[in-house]
Amino acid sequence: MSISRRRFLGWLGAAGVGTTLGRSAHAAGNTLFTGYPDSLGVLFDVTRCIGCRKCEEACNKVNELPAPPKPFSELAVMERRRRTDAKTYTVVNRYENAPGAKGPLYRKIQCNHCLEPACASACFVRAFAKNSNGAVTYDESVCVGCRYCMIACPFEIPAYEYDKAFTPRIMKCTFCHPRLIKGQLPGCVEICPAEALTFGKRRNLLKIARERIGLFPGRYIDHIYGETEMGGTAWLTISGVPFRDLGMREDLGTTAAPELTKGALSVVPVVASMWPVLLTGVYAISQRRDKIAREEQAAAVATAVAKAQSEAKAKLTEAMAKAEKDKKAAIDKEVKKALEEATRAKAQESAAATAAAPEKKPS
Amino acid sequence: MMKERSLFRRTGLVLTLASLMLALAIMSVQGSAPSAPPADDASKPRADIIRIDGLKQFGKLERPAVVYLHEKHTQALSKKNKDCATCHLPDKKYMSTKFKRLTDTSKKTVMDIYHDNCTVCHRQTVDAGEKAGPVVCTGCHQERAVASSWTEIGMDKSLHYRHLKAQETKCEVCHHRFDPAAKKLIYVKGKEDNCRFCHLQETVDNVISMRLASHGQCIDCHRKRLAQNQDAGPATCGGCHDAALQKKIQKLKDVPRLVRGQPDVTVVQAIRSDGQKVAPFTRMSVVPFNHIGHETYNDTCRACHHSSMDACGKCHTLQGSKDGKFVKLQTAMHRVSAQASCLGCHDSFQTDKRCAGCHASMPRKDPPGLSGCVSCHMPKPAAATPETEPKVMAAMLLDARQPVTATYADEDIPETVEIKALSKQFESAKLPHRKIVQTLVKNIKDSKLAGAFHREPGTVCQGCHHNSPVAKKPPACASCHGQPFDGRNLFRPGLQAAYHLQCMECHKDMGIEKPVATNCTGCHKEKL
Repeated sequence: MSISRRRFLGWLGAAGVGTTLGRSAHAAGNTLFTGYPDSLGVLFDVTRCIGCRKCEEACNKVNELPAPPKPFSELAVMERRRRTDAKTYTVVNRYENAPGAKGPLYRKIQCNHCLEPACASACFVRAFAKNSNGAVTYDESVCVGCRYCMIACPFEIPAYEYDKAFTPRIMKCTFCHPRLIKGQLPGCVEICPAEALTFGKRRNLLKIARERIGLFPGRYIDHIYGETEMGGTAWLTISGVPFRDLGMREDLGTTAAPELTKGALSVVPVVASMWPVLLTGVYAISQRRDKIAREEQAAAVATAVAKAQSEAKAKLTEAMAKAEKDKKAAIDKEVKKALEEATRAKAQESAAATAAAPEKKPS
Repeated sequence: MMKERSLFRRTGLVLTLASLMLALAIMSVQGSAPSAPPADDASKPRADIIRIDGLKQFGKLERPAVVYLHEKHTQALSKKNKDCATCHLPDKKYMSTKFKRLTDTSKKTVMDIYHDNCTVCHRQTVDAGEKAGPVVCTGCHQERAVASSWTEIGMDKSLHYRHLKAQETKCEVCHHRFDPAAKKLIYVKGKEDNCRFCHLQETVDNVISMRLASHGQCIDCHRKRLAQNQDAGPATCGGCHDAALQKKIQKLKDVPRLVRGQPDVTVVQAIRSDGQKVAPFTRMSVVPFNHIGHETYNDTCRACHHSSMDACGKCHTLQGSKDGKFVKLQTAMHRVSAQASCLGCHDSFQTDKRCAGCHASMPRKDPPGLSGCVSCHMPKPAAATPETEPKVMAAMLLDARQPVTATYADEDIPETVEIKALSKQFESAKLPHRKIVQTLVKNIKDSKLAGAFHREPGTVCQGCHHNSPVAKKPPACASCHGQPFDGRNLFRPGLQAAYHLQCMECHKDMGIEKPVATNCTGCHKEKL
């Protein structure tokens, strides 16, 4: 199918209209969005983590995830750098020989529950929601399985159930949202024996983190990871070694993902939902235009035909009239002629009579 | 316009071609020049790297500064029985450290001195069929990265004493001071200062820099003694400045005290900005200072006397003075982040394994809490009168303050403590309480510093029983620690974490490897 210039311009116009219809992202504008007031979070203190994997175990239990091949008491699994997957919402990795550290260090990895989640901004069916308690949750009922969220997440957290052919889901830490609603602690936080995970309102956690850094300047790097990274995350981390030595990205910047992509991504749901309508519209318009053209042409032809016909008719009538006239004239002529003949004959008759009648004089 | 542009373009093209050809020519010349030093030689860290960039004082350098390896040249010269005088001219007192000149007169002169002398010597050496340095510009003028092993050197007590002995206690051989009246250097017995007090990083007016002063005086003396086959220090760069060679310098174990009229004990004297001494006990309790003791703890006088041998209070007056850079006496003594302050130095000992168990988990506050004041600031002794000499007063106070780590009698220390407040998955933990206290005390028994600060029997207990008044029977942990994440007590861990953090962090900081923190059953028995 070839696309005519007109049609292409039509699509372009439609797309342009589409962008203006897009709803602006939450962070749009120049105000600083610092999350929902009183939203919750967790402060992970690397200096306190002993690498016991109790949090992994608790997470597995409260989220009813399948049991791993090796038990959670097996600490040797940390020799390998692991990441979250469809059966694991959280992992603890060990970092040996981090510069400046006295011994091995451990880092817990899970969804950081961004204040403005990249996954949610990338999802065009709104399967992700940032709840007012801070949790970023996922609704499998609307998910179409596009996995844009996996690409969007700067922390590489969402995982996909590739092994499920018909009901695959995106799997990630829920911040134990169902437990939070019930007033319970997240599974990992509850079990942590050394409060390496401190639970509380995010604004309080920032205070705690600053207090610890202030009171133990030699123990901590003067930075709270997650305070501003990607526009801020509900989960925060403080550490005694640079975060890059714990495999944490330091190149994320302080801008939330939706802020970066709002121009394009805010259009995505609209384009995705409106696209068929728009294209149908464009098609309908061009179809209608063709139809009108056809109709107009037909009308014009009809008119022309009518005109020609009427003209012909008029001509015919005229010709007929003329013929009639001619006929009449001819008849008249003939009549006249006949009459003249008759008159002449009569005159001849009368002359003859007159010639005969002078003997008879009127009395 | 168009014409102009094409002209520019043509000129640019010509210039580019010309510079390319020049570069090629230079490279070919360089290729024929004597080859670079062997790889093993170049990779070894050196202490003799000199950047010849003296022309900087006349403006921006036109070419990269020459990276000059001094010892390579001295070795080459010594093979030909040539000495320092080959390159260095004699100055008024010592040999000049400059190359073939005494002063830098002008850019042209200095440049010519280097270009003429260096290349001439190199060329002659090459002509004689020997290996020599470069003779073309880029041979010397190039950016070279040579690993450095250069380390600063100073006189420690041992080295000082060895010099003293070698010079038969003639301090005047090295020490001098400037007499402004006579306008010359004189020696005053008992007024010897550290070289660095006058000889600063850079030459200021008539006072030459520390670098020039030490290279003039030290090397001159060493060379003279070496020439006379006497025992002498090094006269090469690496001899003093190479990190590895520095460690080989002989160190005496017991160094006799260096005497300069300093007190054995004294009190820290507060002086007002107008020079008036503050009479003891008018405001603060007095701090007695064991000077002779601190001499043994430190390697140099400079550790405390950072810019003068005077008493601290002379420059660091109560209100601060220009001489003391407006650092007040209070700050000079208490700033934890300053190494020369009392607290700064004392604090640095807390990283020791024996101390870190308790101290690493104590917050660093600057200034620290007030509870420790009385460790140094002592009340007036009964026998003291307003006429008592500072030295006598200090002796009285120090006698009253024996640095001994104290603790409660064994029977007052519970032998075991069973932690059963929390027992869900595990049985209660039995803490060998008395053993822990005894070990902590034993560890620091020999430390006078620790003794000075742990004189009260309850002080060691505070390592764990913190944030409550010192008492023989301190409150239970659960009095304060309860449920975790209490919004009203943001900074207070819950009971379980309080126990675990206390034990685990102490073990980690003290280097106690067993039981490992992840071995639950090392402390608790699993509930069946």
